[in-house]
Amino acid sequence: MPVRPAPKPSAARGLGHALNPSGARGSGRRTTLVAYLFLLPALALLAIFTFYPVIFGTVLSLFEYDVINPPRYVGLQQFQRLLSDRYFWIALTNSAKYVLVVPVIQLCSILLAVLVNRPLRGVGAFRAAYYIPVITSWPVVGIMWTWMYDQQGVVNWVLRGLDLVARPISWLNHPTITLYAVMFVTLWKGLGWYMVIYLSGLQAIPVEYEEAAMIDGASRSRVFWHVTIPLLRPYVLLASLLSTMAAVKVFEEIYVMTRGGPFFSTYTMFMYIFDKAFEELNMGYAAALALVLAAILLVLSAINFRVFRRGGLEWY
Amino acid sequence: MKRWAAGVAAIVALVLVTAVSGVTAPQTTLEFWTISLQPFFTDYVNGLVAGYRRANPGVQVKWVDVQFQAVEQKLLAAIAGGVPPDVVNLNVEFTSRIAERGALVDMDAAVPAADRAKYFEGLWSSGRFKGRSYGIPWYIAPPVLIYNGELFKKAGLNVLTPPATEDAMIGAAKRVKDRAGVYGFMPPLDGTRLMYLFLENGLPVLSENGKLAVFNSPAHVAYLQKYMDLFKADYFPDDTLRRGFTGAVERYSAGQLGILLVGPQFLLRIKESNPEVYAKTFVAPYPMGKGRVIHAPLMALAVPKASKNHQEAGRFALYVTSDENQLAFSKLTVIFPSTKKAAADPYFRQKGAGPEWQARAIAVGELKFGRDLTVVVPNQTELFKIFREAVEGAFFGKMSAKAALDWAVREWNARL
Repeated sequence: MPVRPAPKPSAARGLGHALNPSGARGSGRRTTLVAYLFLLPALALLAIFTFYPVIFGTVLSLFEYDVINPPRYVGLQQFQRLLSDRYFWIALTNSAKYVLVVPVIQLCSILLAVLVNRPLRGVGAFRAAYYIPVITSWPVVGIMWTWMYDQQGVVNWVLRGLDLVARPISWLNHPTITLYAVMFVTLWKGLGWYMVIYLSGLQAIPVEYEEAAMIDGASRSRVFWHVTIPLLRPYVLLASLLSTMAAVKVFEEIYVMTRGGPFFSTYTMFMYIFDKAFEELNMGYAAALALVLAAILLVLSAINFRVFRRGGLEWY
Repeated sequence: MKRWAAGVAAIVALVLVTAVSGVTAPQTTLEFWTISLQPFFTDYVNGLVAGYRRANPGVQVKWVDVQFQAVEQKLLAAIAGGVPPDVVNLNVEFTSRIAERGALVDMDAAVPAADRAKYFEGLWSSGRFKGRSYGIPWYIAPPVLIYNGELFKKAGLNVLTPPATEDAMIGAAKRVKDRAGVYGFMPPLDGTRLMYLFLENGLPVLSENGKLAVFNSPAHVAYLQKYMDLFKADYFPDDTLRRGFTGAVERYSAGQLGILLVGPQFLLRIKESNPEVYAKTFVAPYPMGKGRVIHAPLMALAVPKASKNHQEAGRFALYVTSDENQLAFSKLTVIFPSTKKAAADPYFRQKGAGPEWQARAIAVGELKFGRDLTVVVPNQTELFKIFREAVEGAFFGKMSAKAALDWAVREWNARL
């Protein structure tokens, strides 16, 4: 009777199986355990700084709480109050207007990324220059642009020098234009960040696709709109998602430059949440506002996924 | 054996020394928060703390200086976290807002009547919330009228006869704009400062019992309309409503503003940032209105209820605001004491070189009219926000002066 040799461990079955001949199930459990152990520090931080505040904030929205006195349960009253709160609607409208910056910033950053993706001499310096605003802190940027927007600032000086305006414009003191002036600063500061995302996307696209299209007679713009952009879609999704969230949560630039004024024209949702929490000490109401904002963000994120989910190298 | 005995003796000596030092070590630690006193007054506050420790060997004082913008949030976080300061420097607005939550010690009850009598009555009662005072008045800075002599000359104005009334000041500001080509003034209209102007001009904000808002009479409307017309005619810069006195001081320091209405302590800032403008600066009394009262922002010291050392904290607050300590502080900058005896010191009537001496003599004369006019109401932040919206709405042409004030009064009365 022939003796069957013991089975050799195969690469496909993994090293764990070779070391643990009792079976794959035990080895799988151990791998999972090791994975979770590696994840543990990050999960612990997330639990403390994200999950706990989210749960605490959700519970807090059902209470009236002013930090000093004990919380008082009020149920859904604060959500009902929101509907008739005029400052909520002012803030929501301004935040909705602020989202308009998203398509503009995305388009500009894609164009910028295409520009700096070319093998030009000194292009590294350009990339670095566009990234400098990203790493500059908001207080510095805010103060700098406040000076630049001044009636005697450089923006008016340039516009008057080019004969584009007859008299200096008060960019941060006019209710109809201030929001857009601050949005421009958001655009200026964020451009480099999204440009880097798109640049990495562009560099991941094999040149053969664009070359093939050009050999087939496609023009540059046709290649851009029908080859580059569809292949770049996963990056557009990521960048749009981040940009939408940042626009809805805008705070620093408003706080430094206008504090919500003039005439509440830049009073956005985060400014209102900040005011309610730290000026009026109405933490419960602020938590209710934050929850509503989170729900709005979820809807906007779902729309982003729906619009941009198709595309990328793997899709085609 | 000898070495062993020496070792034991050394240990015993160490234990004894430690025990003795334990007896003399401070038993109470007070945490004292000030607003923006570093770095200019670091030595002064350190001296205060050292003086208190010398007089009270069992008490340790830990001094923390906090930026003005951060003090309220930091205090709330500290109270919520169970680590409140024992003595905290607050202005009247912050004091009343935190007192509304029942978080401050009632100073009318905690401070003996004899001690309370040392302070100006108007200052002690500034910002009373529901009839009780929650802060011990510290220092005060009544505003003065600071003006640029060169711009006055360019405008054809007599430098030696400064405007004595509000209307004369507006007239001078218009002349500076028309003839010297720079803005004449930036009136204090930002935030809720129009309320102070109302009160300074004898126009009440609340009814006598404090239960109703009454700032929409024809006189109030006419007063607001006067400034709206000036704004429309470009007689003051359009960042006035956003930047307030900070913008005014910057503009004045750059030689781009004729008249400045601020506390005399700002003269030192002008001196530092632009000595040339400082050299052309003159000072005159604040143009007082019909109300015969001047809004003088007051700094006070409060004791949070959550402090574990109420009595010691109260004693320390009285020490900081004592005549001697306030007088010493007033000599370091152009501020004024809240106690009658310190304010009567001949120092404030001395003559010296430079506008700050002029300002000191003028401001000390204004002390009897000085009062912190911050309107103390429940739901202060919400009501102030409504007032601000109404005023800005009027200035930016969204509502008429009457419609704006009528609307704000309705909203206030619905909440008062």
